[in-house]
Amino acid sequence: MSGNKKEDEMICALTADEQVALQAGLSALPDTMPPREVWQRIREQAEAEGLIKDRKLNVRSNWFAGAGLAAAALVAAVMLPGLLQQTDTMTVVPQNPPTNEQVQLTALQTLVTESRELESNLRALPDAPRVMRASTMATISDLEERIAAIDYQLNDPAVQMSAADRELFWRERVRLMKSLLQLRYAQAQRTAF
Amino acid sequence: MADMSKFADIDIDPGIIKRAANGDAKAHEIIYRAFSAPVYSICLRFTRVPAHAEDLVQETFIEIMRSIAKFRGEAALGSWIRRIAVTKALMFLRSAWTKRGQMLTDDWHEVTEGDALSHGISRHPDDAMDLDAALASLSDVSRAVVWLHDVEGFTHKEIAGFMGKTESFSKSQLSRAYQRLRPMLEVQESGTQPDGAAISY
Repeated sequence: MSGNKKEDEMICALTADEQVALQAGLSALPDTMPPREVWQRIREQAEAEGLIKDRKLNVRSNWFAGAGLAAAALVAAVMLPGLLQQTDTMTVVPQNPPTNEQVQLTALQTLVTESRELESNLRALPDAPRVMRASTMATISDLEERIAAIDYQLNDPAVQMSAADRELFWRERVRLMKSLLQLRYAQAQRTAF
Repeated sequence: MADMSKFADIDIDPGIIKRAANGDAKAHEIIYRAFSAPVYSICLRFTRVPAHAEDLVQETFIEIMRSIAKFRGEAALGSWIRRIAVTKALMFLRSAWTKRGQMLTDDWHEVTEGDALSHGISRHPDDAMDLDAALASLSDVSRAVVWLHDVEGFTHKEIAGFMGKTESFSKSQLSRAYQRLRPMLEVQESGTQPDGAAISY
């Protein structure tokens, strides 16, 4: 209570039950998706202001990075024999340590496999009931839309994606698939009873 | 007050937030896909005009891109984004009121039964459409206060802070809105009022 009797009397226009009903009703109102072109507008503004990295810039910076690595390798090839001759001690070099790329590839394979298993589990569930709560329907629709957006990115041949980006997208896909599966599973349980 | 906000249900991998902080466009797109619907919905509820809501979504996500490097993860990302969206939407409303030469306290009109019917509100609604219409029939300020308090779980103190007003103002707006919405919450079948203790704040 606020301690101010007059104020409290003024506020208590609803009973606790009524307020709970109002909150539940308002929270169940479905969300609305913005039109598709809104993201395009945001992206254009963000690129103009330099807030996000442009894909073309990434490609260029990768090219520079690649050129830098090649130059470093060349310098190493020229100088390393001389440096090795100067040292009397034996240097232990690890045999074929896994590269970052190999580690990422393994993580990626795990995520792809996990995603396939989740897809398979989802397909094994009974069909969604024909009647469902508006809020549940909105959440399922939202999750499906987000998964579809990720699939679009992953399958678009025009998108140049690094292994790290690909892993990021697959990880998000797995997370969303898990949420969708949990929701559909709970729904199936409710329908069964 | 329970937080029934949809922002709280959305979870983003910390790796994606980190990449977004480095300006990664794809990570920002993932964040946009996750939060665009609740951000747009709150902006649309406050302004009721899709074009204004779209502009506010754009402003909100541009602000996210500008500031995400400062996001420390002390609160959930959803709470942080919600605060940006609410601030943008309320700033818009305040500027609209200013343009109309109105003060916040002027933004109240009594809705008659005739007005209510014109908004598609029945005396005893039984679906979300009626509640949505009833909400739309409230003044901009009252609607914003109801939404921030009852759905997003903000306290009167926080709402007062957002609006640059006192806690009493927020409480008074909520009270008026409740009086307006109360007929919608009456029990239809029995025609009796539900039992329940008065609410304490």
